[in-house]
Amino acid sequence: MELLKVHNLKKTFPKTKVTAVDGVDFSIFKGEVLGLVGESGCGKSTLARSILRLTDVQEGSVFYKEEDLLKMPQGKMREIRKSLQVIFQDPYMSLDPRMRIGSIIEEVLLIHSDISKIERKNKIIELLEMVGLGESYIQRLPRELSGGERQRIGIARSLATGPEFIICDEPISSLDISIQAQILNLLLDLKKKNNLTYLFISHDLGVIASICDRVIVMQSGRFVETGSCEEIFKASKHEYTRQLLKSTLICNYNSIIV
Amino acid sequence: MTMLLEIRDLKVNYNVDGHPIEVVRGLDLGIKKGECIGLVGESGCGKTTVGLSITRLIPEQKGGIASGRILLEDRDILSLDSEGLRKIRGKRISYVFQEPFSSLNPVFTIYEQLKEALPKEVDARQSIPEALNNVGLGNIVGKEKLYPHELSGGMQQRVMIAMAIISRPDLLILDEPTTALDVTVQSQILELIMGLKNRMDLAILFISHDLRIIFKFADRVNVMYAGRIVEVGPKEKIFSHRAHPYTRGLVDSIPSFEHRKKRFNAIEGRTPSFSDLPKGCKFHPRCKFRVDSCTGREPDLQELSSGHFSRCIRAKELMSNGAIKST
Repeated sequence: MELLKVHNLKKTFPKTKVTAVDGVDFSIFKGEVLGLVGESGCGKSTLARSILRLTDVQEGSVFYKEEDLLKMPQGKMREIRKSLQVIFQDPYMSLDPRMRIGSIIEEVLLIHSDISKIERKNKIIELLEMVGLGESYIQRLPRELSGGERQRIGIARSLATGPEFIICDEPISSLDISIQAQILNLLLDLKKKNNLTYLFISHDLGVIASICDRVIVMQSGRFVETGSCEEIFKASKHEYTRQLLKSTLICNYNSIIV
Repeated sequence: MTMLLEIRDLKVNYNVDGHPIEVVRGLDLGIKKGECIGLVGESGCGKTTVGLSITRLIPEQKGGIASGRILLEDRDILSLDSEGLRKIRGKRISYVFQEPFSSLNPVFTIYEQLKEALPKEVDARQSIPEALNNVGLGNIVGKEKLYPHELSGGMQQRVMIAMAIISRPDLLILDEPTTALDVTVQSQILELIMGLKNRMDLAILFISHDLRIIFKFADRVNVMYAGRIVEVGPKEKIFSHRAHPYTRGLVDSIPSFEHRKKRFNAIEGRTPSFSDLPKGCKFHPRCKFRVDSCTGREPDLQELSSGHFSRCIRAKELMSNGAIKST
């Protein structure tokens, strides 16, 4: 089942006249992990932001449950944001350094729900436990947390509204490889448990390969190749994809290096 | 082959709230001429501190080297005065840091910064174009008014490498040189570095958290945990045996197509704080192969085969049976 259907999406930055997203079409199906891969500056984050209306677009439509998000009134969009969430790349920049962890998560609950203070506290504990942390984190400040723990808070925050779709915008690229594996495990577990759909953005094809069902390869605002993970990794058709694959340090389990 | 650099029982303290905390806890490491040595471990294991110790770049207010020896061909770097250090830094040993944009000075031109790295008696008009050509920046030769912000991240890192090799050092320390860069740029920079290594017969200490890079480029691999080496050996042996559970965890964390859609056999938890290290083996609280005696005394490095050492009491079991039961 199609969860989101994006049609001819186009985004040009008015000042620089750079067209970051140049008329793309794609669908995201319920329950899948769709990978979006490409180099810095190819427009993958702009595309993600456009879908959630975090930036204005010039043309196109994004259908969610038969309604175009891009034409939706603000009030209704706000309601829908509960279902469509995002996890940002940099867990250092995306948490307010002056707010305690409890308040960071509570803020979301205050905006998107009208549950009582006690219910909020219980919900915060539940969310923290869901991401492998616990009640002891409520009073802590972001700077007291490691990068991996901070990203877990980012994930807890995006889960607070009970979403069905999450954009993961390079959620692990600023973390150590060992911590990356922990966070990927967490994302896979949460997906299963909460029946989530992900758009997973990364420049690391190894990460994309290990987690995605389908993959979109993006270059200069356009899609150069779309296919199942097997197609992209075992039988890529486009030269740019092959180039990316060649640059990726892929470690085969049985031998040191491919 | 003779050792170019040898670190013996290095101990480094950092001052935390007025108390010295040991962050490098007796570390041995050797680098032969022309060899690429990988130093791998998670953030906060002390690997950057080792790099900084070699060039004596640890800020005094932060802490200092408590004991040990760092021999550069029989001369102890730790006994040098500032004049002696000046003769080694940049000339015998160079350093490339993780983030090129914060390593370059934004208010000076690229040419001015390259020139600064040269000894006075060397002709800059000849050396700078040569160095730029060497790092694949032939297109900016002659552009003397160029500032760092006019270059991309990859080009900036090439400039940093040009600066590092311009005085033809024997040893290059690379501290996560490509972590801040895109995959394609990353592979270009890594290829450049390996080309230079072969052409200039450079020895390299490659510091990274990413075993993929280390396995691709290093001859020998040192795995570091909580301020000490826990496994060291030729990369083939490290990869095929993984004679320390920590190495195992790092290898199991590598994402790949072959391993897709499965949960990673990841290392749980986080690196311990140096002010509160566990008793015995420092890895035991996160270890899947832990037994009771792991909490006793911290194991020594034991030699398993020629040049291959592990600091785990179950190393032989791990090696003889790849899939011994985890506890």
